[in-house]
Amino acid sequence: MSISEQTLTRRGVMGGMAAAGAAAALATGAPAVAAAAAPAPAAFLPADPLLHLLRRATFGPGPSSIAEIRRLGAKAWLDRQLDPSSIADPVADGVLARLPLARLGIDEIRARVAAGTLKQYGWEPMWQLGYAALTRALWSERQLLEVMTDLWSNHLNVTCPSGDVWDSRTDYDTMIRKHALGKFSDLLKASARHPAMLTYLDNRYSTRAAPNENYGRELLELHTVGQGHTEADVKNAARLFTGLTVDRATGRYRYDAAEHATGAIRVLDFQHANTTATGGEAAALALLDHLALHPLTARRIVTRLCVRFVADEPPASLITTLVKVYLDNRSAIAPVLRALFGSAEFAASIGAKTRTPYEDLAATVRILGYGPATSGTKFLESLYGMARDAGQAPLAWGPPNGYPDVAAAWASPSGLLVRWNFHLSIAAGWWPETLVRPASLLTGTVGALPATYGALIEKTAVRLCGIAPTAKQIAALAEFYGKTPASPLKANDPAAGWMYPYLMGMLLNSPSFALR
Amino acid sequence: MTTSVCGCEDNRQAVLSRRRLLAAGAGVAAGVAGATVDTGLAFAADPAYAGDVLVLISLRGGFDGLSAVVPAGDPAYYAARPAIGVPKAQLIGGDAFFGLNPGLAPLLPYWTGGKLAAVHAVGQPAPNRSHFSAMEELERAAPGTSLRTGWLNRMLGTVGSGDPFQAVAMGTAMPARVLGGPAPYVGVTAIDRMVLTGDQADRPIAATMTRLFEDAPTSLRGTAGQLTGGLRQVAKLRAQAYTPANGAVYPGSDLGNALRDVARLIKTNSGLLSATVDSGDWDMHENLGVAAPGKRMYDQLKAFATALAAFAADLGPDHLRRVTVITISEFGRRVAQNGSGGLDHGYGNAMFVLGGNVKGGKVYGRWPGLTEAQLRDGDLAVTTDYRAVIGEILRSRCGVADLNGVFPGVTAAGLGIVTAR
Repeated sequence: MSISEQTLTRRGVMGGMAAAGAAAALATGAPAVAAAAAPAPAAFLPADPLLHLLRRATFGPGPSSIAEIRRLGAKAWLDRQLDPSSIADPVADGVLARLPLARLGIDEIRARVAAGTLKQYGWEPMWQLGYAALTRALWSERQLLEVMTDLWSNHLNVTCPSGDVWDSRTDYDTMIRKHALGKFSDLLKASARHPAMLTYLDNRYSTRAAPNENYGRELLELHTVGQGHTEADVKNAARLFTGLTVDRATGRYRYDAAEHATGAIRVLDFQHANTTATGGEAAALALLDHLALHPLTARRIVTRLCVRFVADEPPASLITTLVKVYLDNRSAIAPVLRALFGSAEFAASIGAKTRTPYEDLAATVRILGYGPATSGTKFLESLYGMARDAGQAPLAWGPPNGYPDVAAAWASPSGLLVRWNFHLSIAAGWWPETLVRPASLLTGTVGALPATYGALIEKTAVRLCGIAPTAKQIAALAEFYGKTPASPLKANDPAAGWMYPYLMGMLLNSPSFALR
Repeated sequence: MTTSVCGCEDNRQAVLSRRRLLAAGAGVAAGVAGATVDTGLAFAADPAYAGDVLVLISLRGGFDGLSAVVPAGDPAYYAARPAIGVPKAQLIGGDAFFGLNPGLAPLLPYWTGGKLAAVHAVGQPAPNRSHFSAMEELERAAPGTSLRTGWLNRMLGTVGSGDPFQAVAMGTAMPARVLGGPAPYVGVTAIDRMVLTGDQADRPIAATMTRLFEDAPTSLRGTAGQLTGGLRQVAKLRAQAYTPANGAVYPGSDLGNALRDVARLIKTNSGLLSATVDSGDWDMHENLGVAAPGKRMYDQLKAFATALAAFAADLGPDHLRRVTVITISEFGRRVAQNGSGGLDHGYGNAMFVLGGNVKGGKVYGRWPGLTEAQLRDGDLAVTTDYRAVIGEILRSRCGVADLNGVFPGVTAAGLGIVTAR
């Protein structure tokens, strides 16, 4: 079956429900629901490959990014995105300057506590980090970096905010950004020794006498090889990681040889004599290097990338191709992304992804082209609250597996209600009311006043969804105003004035915007 | 009108296939399993389900069962808590050995009336003092397996109807961990807040949306249909201003509001099988206080008891007959108070069970004792797996014949805490 056919079947939906990112090939034998002759999802989206790339590699197309990719073409656009430091980012930087705590390192947070300017155990840096993540998703020009930072933040999840990582979570984000487009082996080793991860998965409390298995288990099950390891592997990994801890006095990473459990260990096909306590850290890093380049890890990582960028159930052929690219490049991610976005499978996957609540929120603001408020952070708190109410505040997922990335996990009527409500509220400028938007929404969205209701609906849809609605949809939307598509539109009609945001909202609710 | 969203043979089969999926150990975090057939009507009782509505109250933060259900007959309790032990003279209800904290006074009629029971020294199979990971394990409830679904979702996979309104996470639209998995459920922040902004007679947004989704991909159409159908149903509920019965007065707290909405759904026979509700702020590392108004633990218990008592009163005996309420928490607290007059994270705990068929007025479970040798690293030991308690209720009251599909490898406790249906 093609991807688009698969998504129409219950099997496609259910199969995608394996723990996010895990390639659980399930032969469920579930019966396909007799799909009422619904068109394939691809029919709801524009076929333009540039828009397809924008919908997948960014948090959503916006007027300026559409213009940019048309100017550069796909390859040059992607090259630029893979070199984020070459991209000026004035709009996001301007907002981030209002969130100074979001960038603080562990030492800086503790120094401020010592100086009395920050509360010990306070959550303010973590809240600001959440707002900063949202700011970048909505307004950063370095979109691929943001998407990848989000992906790794979920793959190596450390809940933000959460009390135990009050002094280390912002620094953890800095670490992820540094490696987001680099090598997975570097990212994995940095995360293993980061106080936030050591705290979140309890390895800091793991001792020679009483190894804590939490990190060892998730390292194998979530961060690297996935299924296919044994309890003995978990226990051995946990023993090898004893001694990797956090200095209570400074909050920094520390290797405590006195707490390292020596003795030969075996984890999957990795073996280490682990004879000395002083050599424990090096042995642990050797295991991480081994795991990062393990074929099963390669499969998990590229599957996660494919689930994010291609389809809830990625084509096996693409996974096979990308596993080889990953291993040939010793876990470097940029070559994998180039191969992914250049693949035939990617090109054929239009409509195979559905926006998650957070992607929906970001895509809404981006396609509207509304700018951040000129001062303050209240508007960020409002937008963050919308993401939270829809179930997906950035970085806030509790369990270690990160937010799910498949449509089935988010297909919740109550979540959808929150989304339909924020579409209208944001578009109309009711809440948040301080985003910078055109003086006239109609002029800003479609330019000159269209002659008919049908033309108004079609132009607005093309502007917001990239594609004209079906005749049936246009008729339904005209009827909302008590009109037909052929009804002439007059400048003083409510539909061209105070009731225009309702059209924007309903189009943002439509299947063409729900799909990515 | 009682057409189910998924009231079709396809869906019955799909429920079966979901069970197979669970058996295969697939897991996902939240939400409604996509493709459903849209009939636009969301509320429908599953005629096949004749069990109790299971109401799960999660006491978040680590509930101190020893302050709530006080082992007054164990001198080690008072020795360990010189400043915050609840004196015998203040205890209410209980029995020869245990007594209830006076903050629980609003629930006393249900205790003495035999509808409220406690189980003590319950907990997870292994100590876990991390809030996050203990909560995770509590709701996954399948240690030693790779299951990532929540136990309540697995229960729905066993006896559920496939209708999203079969289970409601009340008070939140966040994915509920315990309900995570392929069986559909709904998160509702509040019935009165389930409103589509701007939708009114002369601005029919919901009706227009139904038409926009008519030819949409099945999964999108299903969810949109559940929402528009659900909005219609909830609007009907809202149309009649809700007055709690029997003079019940809910406190204006999150817990009170959520339980009030659960009662509304139960009383309208909406097809509800299970509801989850959260009660937060039990993490009292400092200044837990004596059992008196204005003190932290007492006030919290009072607020909890007031809300739960209002819920029970509102349901009245007729509805309470098919409802069982369970409280759970990620862990209990350390037996000995700490230097800040509070309690650090512990292990064994108490849980409450309330319902029309509970054999109440007593404390179940085997008491392990509180002397140093009897403790588990300074904490109350666990003599009954919490899953065995829930399992007993699932078997006796909810028609779950085979517990393995919900709690792998767990045997029902056999406490006799409820009357079998």
